[in-house]
Amino acid sequence: MTTPADRHLLAMHRSEAAVSVELQTEDMVLNIGPQHPSTHGVLRLVATVAGERVRSVQPVMGYMHRGYEKLAEVRTYAQITALVNRIDWVSGFANEIPFIVAAERLMGVEAPERAQHIRLILTEMFRISNHLIFLCSFPAELGAPTPLMYALRERERVLDLIEGVTGGRFHPNFNRIGGVKPAAGGGSTQRTRVQDLPKGFIEGTRRAMTAVRHVCDDLENLVLGNEIVQQRTIGIGVLPADKAVEYAMSGPNLRASGVPFDLRKVEDYLPYDRFDFDVVTMPNGDNYDRCRVRLEEIRQSARIIEQAVDSLPGGPLQTKVPRVIKVPKGECYVRAENPKGEMGYHIVSGGGRRPYRVKIRSASFCNLQVLPWLLEGALIPDVIAILGSLDFVLGDVDR
Amino acid sequence: MSEPEPPATPVPDPETPSAETPPSRAAHWAALVGSAEWADVFRTSKVRVPRERWVEAHRALQPHLPFFAWLSVIDWSNEVAVGDPLEGDPVEERCEVISRLSDVSAGEAVILSTDLPPDDLTIDSLAGVYTAADWHEREAADMFGITFVGHPNPVRIYLSEGFVGHPLRKSYPLLSREVKPWPGAVEVTPLPAAEGAPGEGKEGGA
Repeated sequence: MTTPADRHLLAMHRSEAAVSVELQTEDMVLNIGPQHPSTHGVLRLVATVAGERVRSVQPVMGYMHRGYEKLAEVRTYAQITALVNRIDWVSGFANEIPFIVAAERLMGVEAPERAQHIRLILTEMFRISNHLIFLCSFPAELGAPTPLMYALRERERVLDLIEGVTGGRFHPNFNRIGGVKPAAGGGSTQRTRVQDLPKGFIEGTRRAMTAVRHVCDDLENLVLGNEIVQQRTIGIGVLPADKAVEYAMSGPNLRASGVPFDLRKVEDYLPYDRFDFDVVTMPNGDNYDRCRVRLEEIRQSARIIEQAVDSLPGGPLQTKVPRVIKVPKGECYVRAENPKGEMGYHIVSGGGRRPYRVKIRSASFCNLQVLPWLLEGALIPDVIAILGSLDFVLGDVDR
Repeated sequence: MSEPEPPATPVPDPETPSAETPPSRAAHWAALVGSAEWADVFRTSKVRVPRERWVEAHRALQPHLPFFAWLSVIDWSNEVAVGDPLEGDPVEERCEVISRLSDVSAGEAVILSTDLPPDDLTIDSLAGVYTAADWHEREAADMFGITFVGHPNPVRIYLSEGFVGHPLRKSYPLLSREVKPWPGAVEVTPLPAAEGAPGEGKEGGA
């Protein structure tokens, strides 16, 4: 099948070939970033370009390296959750989960059912928030600012719910070893009588999920149905399944290449096995499919949240843990399906109040490794499109 | 030890208690790489291999576990410049290199581990077996000063040119703490005047 994009590319190839016959061209080094708005922070790409086409790309990182692995060694387990919130700041809460579960496993405690369900609901809300941000920022990078308004409006509803439960919008720091923050339902600002979810949370969630489904339909028409977006995405930045695995892509980027792998289905860090949801995959692995996967995942997350609020178990939010958290010697790795891919922490405890070593496996760092391969031979305008379609955050790359 | 009988003769890690999860996946992977040392703790399988067989072991597992999740280093040291020291008996000082491999279907995974003596921090690069090991090895070289022999692009990834030292080593101080004491100083060092165990029982000082 020849898509319009294919024909477009073919025409480009022809005109380029014609030019290089007539003119002597030479390669040029083009610096993209570190301050370029499309680099989601401070990523620098050193691209060698021949005319409009990229010959090779060398990503340069470290402009935002904050040394979290070192900082984690001087903080107590309770303090580290505040730190890890800021790794991928678009999905703050989801970063806490694998860390706290790993620490709990080392200590041999397990959060009560109700706390686990609340964790799950909040994680999925952050997934919705993350994917909505992607679906509005990606078209903005392609030159279409309108979807921004639609997606951010509905994201605000989700953030309001998160704020109602945790007291924070981006960095809730809501998990405690053995459960969630006991004074939920007002956050730390109100010394509250309510010890649980705020009043009206469940109804509010149902309404918000309906709104999220609506905005998904809108975005599907507005973004994926847009002919210009299609021209910029279909058949561009194609990542076949074998390459995706070879470069250790994870999360939606992997599933967009047709690999049906979702850690929510194979790991048991949260009780996902109690809910029905589909692992969304797309066949082509191009920019367009990476968008479609995320759009569809919002719907699946809404589905999970609706089931979870319907079957929210009662009971306490915290199990009994010692006042001073000391973690026995040992090491443990827990990974979770974060909005951006596999996120995990390998905690080595020396028996003290602070971990001896914490290795942070962040999704964006690993997902970016494919860039030199993916961008080779791309057109310069497509570099921005391909980069945007990978959905990364520099805090998650540099840590 | 209550682990099931593996094909190879196991020497379970004496530091870690064994978990009862028969049949042990760690034993399965250990047999594949021909190692006799493995452990299955906290649902994490770990197989120890000698440094000489590091690349070979990865090559043996690559067809089964094609996904290179990460590579990390643990600096086992009895003297620490920052953070809590290891409790209990002194350990053999070494750098432990660990890699995590997994599949993309059933959720199988294993951690491979090997030791480097502190006076010879070199190891063969995995980049020829796992493409994705590239950046992780560059990071480990930056942060721990490990030389990966045969790495295709051995340049710095995070640190700037001219940076001295390897920040994640246990001997490397946390410079911001040296320059300015931690506001919740009780969390870092016991005050000389304070008797007993200051800091214990208090989780404050964000």
